[in-house]
Amino acid sequence: MPSPAPQAPGIPAEPGIVVQGVRRAFGEVQAVRNVTLRAHAGRVTGLVGPNGSGKTTLLLMLASLLAPDAGSIRIDGVDPVTDPQAARALLGWMPDALGAWNALTSRETLAVTARLYGMPRAEASVRADALLGEVGLVDLADAPARVLSRGQKQRLGLARALVHDPRVLLLDEPASGLDPQARIDLRLLLRRFAAEGRTVLVSSHILSELEEVVDDAVFLMAGVTVDPARVEAASRRARPWRVRLAGAEASVAVEQVAGALRIPVESLGVDRRDVMVSFESEDAAAGALRDLVGAGLDVVEFAAAQGALERTFLDLGDGRPPQAPPPSEPPAPGEDESEATS
Amino acid sequence: MSGQRLGTIVGLELTQRTRSIAWYVLLGVFAVLLAIVTGLSFLAWGSAYRPGGAIYSTIVYITLLLVVLVSPTLSGNAINGDRDAATLAPVQVTLASTLEILIGKFLAAWVTGLAFVAVSVPFLVLATLGGGGAPATITVSLLVLVFEVGIISAIGVALSGILSRPLFSVATTYLVVAALVVGTLIAFALVGMTMRSEVTSHFRSIEYDQYTGDGYPCLPGETPSDENPCDDDIEVRCGEWETSTHEVPRFDQVWWLLAANPFVILADATPTQYDEYGNPNDLFGQIKFGVRAAQQPPELEQRWDDCTPGSQGDQRTPAEVVDQSTPSWFVGMTLQLLLAAGLMWWAWARTRTPAGRLPAGTRIA
Repeated sequence: MPSPAPQAPGIPAEPGIVVQGVRRAFGEVQAVRNVTLRAHAGRVTGLVGPNGSGKTTLLLMLASLLAPDAGSIRIDGVDPVTDPQAARALLGWMPDALGAWNALTSRETLAVTARLYGMPRAEASVRADALLGEVGLVDLADAPARVLSRGQKQRLGLARALVHDPRVLLLDEPASGLDPQARIDLRLLLRRFAAEGRTVLVSSHILSELEEVVDDAVFLMAGVTVDPARVEAASRRARPWRVRLAGAEASVAVEQVAGALRIPVESLGVDRRDVMVSFESEDAAAGALRDLVGAGLDVVEFAAAQGALERTFLDLGDGRPPQAPPPSEPPAPGEDESEATS
Repeated sequence: MSGQRLGTIVGLELTQRTRSIAWYVLLGVFAVLLAIVTGLSFLAWGSAYRPGGAIYSTIVYITLLLVVLVSPTLSGNAINGDRDAATLAPVQVTLASTLEILIGKFLAAWVTGLAFVAVSVPFLVLATLGGGGAPATITVSLLVLVFEVGIISAIGVALSGILSRPLFSVATTYLVVAALVVGTLIAFALVGMTMRSEVTSHFRSIEYDQYTGDGYPCLPGETPSDENPCDDDIEVRCGEWETSTHEVPRFDQVWWLLAANPFVILADATPTQYDEYGNPNDLFGQIKFGVRAAQQPPELEQRWDDCTPGSQGDQRTPAEVVDQSTPSWFVGMTLQLLLAAGLMWWAWARTRTPAGRLPAGTRIA
């Protein structure tokens, strides 16, 4: 009988995913250099990173399929390396590669998966039907998987990951190939999962997509998780806002906005019909909106031009992937003290 | 190891196979080939005395040959084919262990191969009715057939777990099977002929030149008669002993190379029926006699003496040779089992998750 995995020192048993200093190479290629992250139970955590940043490799390690070269992983306190069976009972994994048994129907696919998780036959078939309803494949329940479209296969893959009612859900690019309705369904499903106290980790590079569903975000650049302080700093940088005035050409509007805000015209940009203005913070943006309205301008649109995730992502990357892990800044011991005493 | 998960994996594999039309076409082609072979065997052996054994053994051998040719394609891409189709990882991430996946795929490949044996059963019944094979022969030969299908399935599944490319692993399975079927024969012949021993033969003959005139002497043991009017009074004069040397291949030292050959195992394990002269009356028996005869060491000191009666060499019947030699089928089966189990273990180490070191070019999912 698998006994509870002994806790590594420094990592308390806690629900959710805890990853510390994980590294993995394939031959000469260092796919994951140094990943440290926490995905909390009851929250949806986004895993954001460019292509080739190691997201899939990391998820394979979390899914107990790949052993890390170094570092530790805990899935609800279970180490998937030493006790993969226990970890597999806890986690549901939806891979980015669509693998379906082409000769089997959707219903059979789910029933077989349930049986592989040890469910009795009758229970497995009930579970399969319930999941088909949940992901909207009831009409295609008896069609062989080979006739499913990419999005339908994706939904089948999601249902397969949910078969054993996992406590932790790992999703690798779940939204690719989904139509808008299916994306909304997926978002609702993930929110419901989190509300039930489960842990959800979603990787994607469709940031607008993630933005709508995640509570937390972890940024992965060239195999390294970006230090939360750096993420925080990046998210504080000036971000562009989109301003549109009713009935005014952008060339005219840009003069009016510059005048109302008392800033030089050169510092503003124009994008199609909109004026682009940078603000340091949301407070600054709110103040500017007051000024524009106070100046009698007919503002019909005033919105952040980029999602927070997208802007942070672009700021972090700065167009070039970091070649080496960022120097881990040792916490300056004096800093906190001085703050406390001042 | 859970019976339920194992059963699910076997069921999954079999469902996928039986839903492809190609599979039924293959079985149909197989049946047609066997029908042709059965018809030809009846024509070929029909005039023989009690042809049942000969026809039966021919059909079993053809079945083994076809199964050996088909099995690698049924099992040689079990693991890496699934990995290519991205259907392996979703199974590995369930509670099914690597061992269950391997054993399940092996059992499924075995059952699939046995479907071909099942197709041959009507023809075997026909052969049995057409001339009668002994029950022991039928039972044992079928058991060996089932065993061989299992061995080839295990080798195929294991190689598909060891090598990452399906095409490559199917080809390698064929090479391993060819090594067992043809390679053992080649090795037996070549190594046997390389290991030579010198035979010294001593001989002397009667000096017929000494006799002139009408009479000739009676040889030792002969008495004069009408048919053989030799002259008992003339003394037989023997020549001098002469000695010559030549080399003979030592097949008796390499006979075990043949032991791992599936066709030899089938022949060697099956009880043989002999006719009244001690000659085997089916193909199995003839091959068994050939293998057992190869076990006999050559006499390195030979004496040929015309002057002493009854000095001629080995006059044993095939039945006697077989009875006085060592059966090799269990040696062969053991070798094949070790090979299959070793490859299976290697495949297990390669397919195990969480995966440690991966061979270049392998992907997990």
